[in-house]
Amino acid sequence: MESQSRNVWIKEGDPSKLGALYKDGYEDILEERRHTSDFRWCTRSRNVQFYQYRHPRNPKQIKDSVLSSDRVQYAIEQVIQESGTTPEETENQVHSILDEMAHNLNLSSVRCLAYVLTKIIKRLYRRIYVNEEGIDTVRTLIKEYPVLLMPSHRSYTDFLVMSYLFYHYDLPLPVIAAAMDFMGMKFVGTLLRNCGAFFIRRSFGSDKLYWAVFTEYVQTQMCNGDAPVEFYVEGTRSRTSKSLSPKIGMLKASLEPYFKAHCPDIMVIPITVSYDRILEENLYTYELLGVPKPKESTSGLLKARSILSEDFGNIHICLAPPISIRTFSEGKINRHIHSLSPRYIASLTKDEEVLLKDLAFVVILTQQKHAVISPWALIASVLMQKTNGVQFEELVKDVEWLKRQASNCGAYVDWPGNESPEHVIRTRLLFHSNKLTISDEDLVELKQISPPSHVDNKTSKDTIISTAAMHVMTSLYRNQLLHVFVRIAMVTIPVNSCLQETLSINSLFEQYTFLETILSREFIFQPGKTREDFNKVLVLLQHAGGLVIDEERNIKIKQSVNKYTTFMSIMFKPFLLGYWVVCQYLLSLAGGNLDARPLARKAKQMRIETQQLILGLLSEGIIKHYEILSLDLIGNALDSLVDMGVISREKRIQDIYFVPQCAKVSRIAAKIESMTEVPATHITDFSTFIIRTVTAKL
Amino acid sequence: MKKTGAKIFKEVNVVDCGSQTDRKISMEEKAPTIPKRRQELLKWNGWGYKDSKFIVNKDEHVEFTGDRYKLSGHVMPSLREWMIKTIGISLDHRVQSQPELTAADIPAPIKNEAFLHDLRNARISHSDDSQDRLFRAHGHTLHEVFILREGRFSRIPDLVVWPTSHDEVIKVVELACKHNTVIIPFGGGTSVSNAIECPKHETRMITSLDTSQMNKILWIDEKNMTAHCEAGIIGQDLERRLDEKGFCTGHEPDSMEFSSLGGWVATRASGMKKNVYGNIEDLIIHLKMVTPRGVIEKSCQVPRMSSGPDIHHFMLGSEGTLGVVTEVTLKIRPVPTCKKYGSIVFPNFEQGVDCLREIAKQRCAPASIRLMDNEQFQFGHALKPDTSTLFSSFVDGIKKLYITKIKGFDLTKIAVATLLFEGTSDEVASQEKRVYEIAANFGGLPGGEENGERGYMLTFVIAYIRDLGFEYYVVAESFETSVPWDRVLDLCRNVKDRLHRECKDRGIQFPSFATCRVTQTYDSGACVYFYFAFNYRGLTNPVKVYEEIEASARDEILANGGSISHHHGEKRTKLVEHLSFWTSLYIDSHTLHGRR
Repeated sequence: MESQSRNVWIKEGDPSKLGALYKDGYEDILEERRHTSDFRWCTRSRNVQFYQYRHPRNPKQIKDSVLSSDRVQYAIEQVIQESGTTPEETENQVHSILDEMAHNLNLSSVRCLAYVLTKIIKRLYRRIYVNEEGIDTVRTLIKEYPVLLMPSHRSYTDFLVMSYLFYHYDLPLPVIAAAMDFMGMKFVGTLLRNCGAFFIRRSFGSDKLYWAVFTEYVQTQMCNGDAPVEFYVEGTRSRTSKSLSPKIGMLKASLEPYFKAHCPDIMVIPITVSYDRILEENLYTYELLGVPKPKESTSGLLKARSILSEDFGNIHICLAPPISIRTFSEGKINRHIHSLSPRYIASLTKDEEVLLKDLAFVVILTQQKHAVISPWALIASVLMQKTNGVQFEELVKDVEWLKRQASNCGAYVDWPGNESPEHVIRTRLLFHSNKLTISDEDLVELKQISPPSHVDNKTSKDTIISTAAMHVMTSLYRNQLLHVFVRIAMVTIPVNSCLQETLSINSLFEQYTFLETILSREFIFQPGKTREDFNKVLVLLQHAGGLVIDEERNIKIKQSVNKYTTFMSIMFKPFLLGYWVVCQYLLSLAGGNLDARPLARKAKQMRIETQQLILGLLSEGIIKHYEILSLDLIGNALDSLVDMGVISREKRIQDIYFVPQCAKVSRIAAKIESMTEVPATHITDFSTFIIRTVTAKL
Repeated sequence: MKKTGAKIFKEVNVVDCGSQTDRKISMEEKAPTIPKRRQELLKWNGWGYKDSKFIVNKDEHVEFTGDRYKLSGHVMPSLREWMIKTIGISLDHRVQSQPELTAADIPAPIKNEAFLHDLRNARISHSDDSQDRLFRAHGHTLHEVFILREGRFSRIPDLVVWPTSHDEVIKVVELACKHNTVIIPFGGGTSVSNAIECPKHETRMITSLDTSQMNKILWIDEKNMTAHCEAGIIGQDLERRLDEKGFCTGHEPDSMEFSSLGGWVATRASGMKKNVYGNIEDLIIHLKMVTPRGVIEKSCQVPRMSSGPDIHHFMLGSEGTLGVVTEVTLKIRPVPTCKKYGSIVFPNFEQGVDCLREIAKQRCAPASIRLMDNEQFQFGHALKPDTSTLFSSFVDGIKKLYITKIKGFDLTKIAVATLLFEGTSDEVASQEKRVYEIAANFGGLPGGEENGERGYMLTFVIAYIRDLGFEYYVVAESFETSVPWDRVLDLCRNVKDRLHRECKDRGIQFPSFATCRVTQTYDSGACVYFYFAFNYRGLTNPVKVYEEIEASARDEILANGGSISHHHGEKRTKLVEHLSFWTSLYIDSHTLHGRR
């Protein structure tokens, strides 16, 4: 009597037979493109709604309004007075700055690009998933307030898929702040400009004209709502898949209009673009190991077309709930402070800058929160701890376990509910078969990767480098998971390394704070939230990680050391070890004498020498974590030591030199030693190492 | 000047007016238009005269009753639809005011018998009748009118006195000091700064000092073009009586039918035609103020002087906190021979503001120039009466076609400036020419006299419309600000946006109404006037919600570089803070000049 059962309402009962167009709030925008005409799609009429107070302008009119603006005129006058240039020269300077900067967004170029792009994207990717709720919100918001889009930046693809997305949903196409790298590319530079990219120099110090033009150019578009403004708060593509510390220059320029009451509010939309497989994985890997990236060029781009035959899986784009700058700043700042001088002259107040820095961190943390974690990231995390390979069965067990832990921490794992775990994991392993092998005995192992074309033969043949490349590439995916667990690890590391029976919460917090400080270039921590984060983690660990706290608020060490805490600690061990090696390198500069003044070095030289040292340690088998070779890790360690005042910066004529303070360095090294296992090698040995490796290279 | 006997009285700058008898016109006494028992003529729980109000008639059309105003007796056919569409009212959902408060609903008076005894002996008219007291317990803020319609006052004046002269005011103040009672000066009762609200926890006897019986024009000095008046005279009486002699002050605040000269001084009022005649501070030649420490006045009546900070500026805007203004000498002007309304239609508000700024820059603004935003234009349009040639509209017939089709104006975007020219007919003609020429540069087209006149009528009747709103769950209020030119547009847009957004955030279920106009222009900025209304059906505490929203709108104004007020005045608590700050400056000033 099936017709009487309620099942008649169900069209498809077998979950494995359902398509993947929709899932869990996400919609695939590529599916439709596979069934209908791309040409018609690119030429269709678009019904776009803009900001309610917008006066329609074309790119030329935007440039004109920048030229005639009070701010730019004022800067021109100042420059004429200060440098004695003629008005014509100065105006010409402004013109050339503006020509270099401005986009030339026009729909016909966008349609052309959309046509080509959709062909390429369909070959590269299986699906592009977008959270529908986010799109709905943006659709309404864009009419009400100026909108600032702040996507995460992992790949060049970010820029393209964002515009593609807005084209797809009939939303106004964003204008995007891009670095100058692309501008030099023949044809491509122009094409990007026509599709809304505008180019900003990486640094322009105290160039008054440039500041004025840049500020006005961004702000006039913000206020009039010509288009949503898009930029990457991380400043550049993260090569490691970890979020980068925010740069707030562009954020300041775009939000200043709110503080100066040029517009009623500005909506900031953090966006996370998550990739199953990153287009640049090879390039990044070698770049991190110190092989310079090839300069962006059109011919380079054409050479790279071989990737078109590869499969890069899915992209997930999540538009997070918008942050209203009005709500965010409510009660924290007084906007009327700006009513006492012309708005184009004064700059932001200290309070406002602090607030924006805070906001930048919130944006990055929001991006992290909405990251879609692929099963591969879980697999990579397990594989990184089992460099000698792991049985498939065991891998499945570990990955499933890790998935639960990640979910418990609030991470969103893209795990298809209608497939068996074995199936999920095996398909992901096959998908990443360029990085691993599965033997006939079902042993899963990382394998050597094929280096990109610009890497010379000698480097690619070097066994240490190629092993490191294999590890670093896998770590790119493991890194997608680290932000979920880093705070937990900062508690488990002191717990696991504690030699007493109990550890007081206070001293735990002290160690937590130390770790947060030293790792603050490596991971994103909201300034001023240390205690809050710590307390949250304690609760979480008690509930899910077996942390035991007695009545006197002491951690019971024996009960608290378990699989969970150990896994977390090991996950982050390479970082601590890397930082420790950096400390040893710095100490070696003084020949092991803590009172001696060590040799000053330029930052870059320090990075390279540290890397050499690590190479030596790896080849001697003294350390086994190849990923430490990453220049990013070494650089972060040095920067963080500068932040902590352990390395002082000295300006000599033109260059900045780093001078380590050996006593402080040795204290830091000792603290790290107390938390994690390090090789039992003496500092003086390191000095000899360095000499050895350097001579070896010579 | 008579010396008073009281010890605490010390006359500051005692004046002898001397023998200025030359060319002084004395005026006969006339009873004020608003009687001593205000309740006989005025509404007890709303704005204006009892005979004039907006009603929804049996055909469910809005009609203005009575025959006092040009609009009286007319039906406004499109107003109902406008109210339904713009604020979401429903004719089926009506809320009526509570019945008139009786003596039983009003707090019993606190009596200081000794004070009363002395007052009787001084033969100064007074009353503790509950209606007399209730009528002087409030101004016309939303909060106060809402209490009248729905609630109870916890504290109202215990007594009303009606002194008839400066000397009687001195006597009343002196007695109040002697017996430690409180005085709250009362003029026309149109305050929107809560200045006449009684402090809740005041346990001493509170006397409302009603100046309405001090309504004489004491003399007119044609040679110096000044008039010396008692401060209780209300605007309409002052203008009407000066007009009889061929003069005017030209001071025309929107409340001039009811507000008093003393009140203008106490609030730092501004009149619609300030471009020609100036604001109240420009009009005043001499003031007398009775304070608990004595009478304050200057010793001469000169156009300008330099002898320290101008004492007038302490009295102006003091909201009755420092003393009672009793007599004022004002500048007067001959009544202009030609008066002409006009209007300009702009494609949008932005261009309108640019035009007003240019007119201000060229200093050729007519007596009044106001720029209404589109919402206010629509509102004014909805007020068009059924049958009246007077109020024919430019958007009718051919003109509408011309503006929309030929000139390409969008009726949902246009802004309208209303103009009032005054002077000789030649002057008016040349002014008109210049203003319309400038307007043309900003895309403005002349929109005819009728539209101008209707614009001004709107501000006259708007206070009545609020009472109709109350009947349909609508609370409405106005507020204003003074703002530099470069901020005008941003401020208008941002404040309106903030109002709508705050309504949404507070769960108001219906569209809110927010509109503004640039209502005065100056060299360096403008005065912007906002109307704001929302339908509170479904909310339990509309006044509180309103006040929160208004507070955030004021925050927004300040953030946008505007002032707390241009002419409405500041809340009394804030004001007292200011005054004590100034006093403390004086006390500290030995740092700057040394002890003497």
